[in-house]
Amino acid sequence: MDEPDILARTRAYVHETFLYMRPGFVLGDSDRLLQRGVIDSMGVMELIGFLRSEFGVVVSDEDITEQNLGTLADIAGYVARKGANGGNGGPG
Amino acid sequence: MCGFAGVARREPRGVAAATLGRMAAALRHRGPDGHGRYAGPRVGLAHVRLSIIDVAGGAQPLGNEDGSVLVVYNGEVYNYRELHAELVAAGHRFRTRSDTEVLVHAYEQWGPAMLDRLNGQFAFAIYDRRNETVFLARDRFGVRPLFYSIAGGDLWFASEAKALFASGEVAAEIDPVGLDQVFTFWAARPPRTVFRGVSSLEPGCFAVWQDGRLRHGRYYELDYPEAGEEPGDAVATLRSLLAGSVGLRLRSDVPVGGYLSGGLDSSIGCALAARESPYALRTFSVTFDDPELDERYFQLLVAQELHSQHFVQGIGPGDVARVFPDVVWHAETPLVRTAPAPMYLLAQLTREHGIKVVLTGEGSDELFLGYDLFKETALRLFCLRQPHSRSRPRLFERLYPYLDARSRRGDFWGRFFLDAGSPDDPLFSHLPRFQLTARIKDFYSGDLRATLAQDDPLDELRAALPSRFSDWSPLNRAAYLEMVTLLSPYLLAAQGDRMSLAHGVEGRFPFLDHRLFEFAARLPAQSKLRGLHEKAILRRAVGDLVPSSVGQRPKQPYRAPDVPAFFNPEPAEYVRELLDGSNLARTGLFEPAAVAGLVRRCHAGLATGFRESQAVVAIVSAELWHRQFIAERAAMQLDPLPMPVLAG
Repeated sequence: MDEPDILARTRAYVHETFLYMRPGFVLGDSDRLLQRGVIDSMGVMELIGFLRSEFGVVVSDEDITEQNLGTLADIAGYVARKGANGGNGGPG
Repeated sequence: MCGFAGVARREPRGVAAATLGRMAAALRHRGPDGHGRYAGPRVGLAHVRLSIIDVAGGAQPLGNEDGSVLVVYNGEVYNYRELHAELVAAGHRFRTRSDTEVLVHAYEQWGPAMLDRLNGQFAFAIYDRRNETVFLARDRFGVRPLFYSIAGGDLWFASEAKALFASGEVAAEIDPVGLDQVFTFWAARPPRTVFRGVSSLEPGCFAVWQDGRLRHGRYYELDYPEAGEEPGDAVATLRSLLAGSVGLRLRSDVPVGGYLSGGLDSSIGCALAARESPYALRTFSVTFDDPELDERYFQLLVAQELHSQHFVQGIGPGDVARVFPDVVWHAETPLVRTAPAPMYLLAQLTREHGIKVVLTGEGSDELFLGYDLFKETALRLFCLRQPHSRSRPRLFERLYPYLDARSRRGDFWGRFFLDAGSPDDPLFSHLPRFQLTARIKDFYSGDLRATLAQDDPLDELRAALPSRFSDWSPLNRAAYLEMVTLLSPYLLAAQGDRMSLAHGVEGRFPFLDHRLFEFAARLPAQSKLRGLHEKAILRRAVGDLVPSSVGQRPKQPYRAPDVPAFFNPEPAEYVRELLDGSNLARTGLFEPAAVAGLVRRCHAGLATGFRESQAVVAIVSAELWHRQFIAERAAMQLDPLPMPVLAG
């Protein structure tokens, strides 16, 4: 799966899961999810479950960083890298 | 413990017995042991009694020697014996040995300055027929409630708001700003309530009604004159103050029991009570089927050590949902947690076992910096001093150990705290909590949003802070905010007084003796929070009274199931009705489409975080509250309590 597809599916998931109660909320791909109040640390755990079930990507504790999961674009890039590396490695 | 209600008219046009009877009926749960009324041309008073001190002689309303001063009163003045002796020496003649009569003579002797002399938890109304004034007062920390409203030019007052509505003269209407405060702070901030036109007398305050006008005054203010160093005798002083406080709170003509959570504070109270009480101690605990919430191991450990007769209220699937409508009726407010529900059931169990007075541990966490919120404040300051440090934010992983370990790791957990606000903001300590709670507002309807467009509860709180607030240390500012936003209006009220008095059980709070508060407020912060070890001096002073595993145990907050209480996996029938789109649209508080999304996630078992859990509790409770108080006006349906005339 290429990065734009991952981005589109992740965007849809985030809207459905974290923004269903805020239908007018505009979230840019580079907006920081935590700072904009979209996600909190419990939400991050839920997102990690989604990445596993949807893309087969297992996120290690060390990879739970803002650099990897801070924005929709960061997530898509991270998942694409992990996918390229077989889903369980990558630079994080 | 008791309840009272009354009216002071601007013009002398009398008070119907049926009006007082309906107001008393709305409070009957607070005082099932007796009731009485006074009805004069201007003033009417009603009282329901829970007999604890001078069981035979303390009926109310109660007057002075010539009946010119009358009182209705809810609470306890623990130093009533000392005041009694002082007043007898000053020439007052007593007919009873009750603390109630002490109030009457103390008012005659000292006027409003009497309040400085009272050590207790109280709310009362004194009618002075000599100058046609009504004097209302409430204890320093707001243990006992007092609501009032000015309607039709007359002053209406009562221990609970439902008694005001039962009069038929005070309308139950929504105060959207009060609701918005609940969904920010967990409770409306006194004097505001969730009912338009109904005020709560602030803790440490009094009010005087005369000639159709209400004048307010404050007799007690929280202050934190923190010392640079811990006094050499601090540990001994603390032990002595605490023992004295428990001793005073054992003054009762009926046996005093204890709530035992399994934590340090309630265990200390029970341990001291077991030593001093003339009765074999009976202890009462809540247990949960959910092991994450359950503390039965520690409860039993303490009960065995104290040789108390121990009773347990188990909370299983369905229990919270079953009693939640009654909980909201008694709390009189929307809630953001279900934690009052187990306390409601615990009070029921306590009363069934013949106990109507219990010691309980509230206040200790505020006095001795027990909550993780205080550690969080210290850590946020520590991290913000070196904002580029990678290692410092990892310390946040040591907070809230009872939450899912994985959610407490990494950047997101630390950033949640570090991005919440600047140390220059007076509300710095509480911004993470306030911001998290405020996510409930994502579910507001468009109309409610529009109504609240100009409202900013945080700015209102900033503007209401006392002038010396900025002189206090960051931890004392946090302690103050905790006292005024959570302890008094929520923990002591919706989760405290209203739950225990629903079953005629009086809570007593050894840690909320004002002398103990003033002692703790003078201690340097490091005496209380040493590194990340909370309540340090308390453990040093009285830790030996409890089993060592309890004495050294980290703070475990009392919590109850939220989403699983209502979706297990199907919702209770009334929950389904309340969350239905047509009901939500009729009520107008929440957006039906947003709530439908939440319900879908609850059904799927996905609503597991704080945000959605609190939203479920908030929406269910607000809809229940609206149905009971606003839509059905249930308080006005009560039959009047037939009441003997006890004074007049």
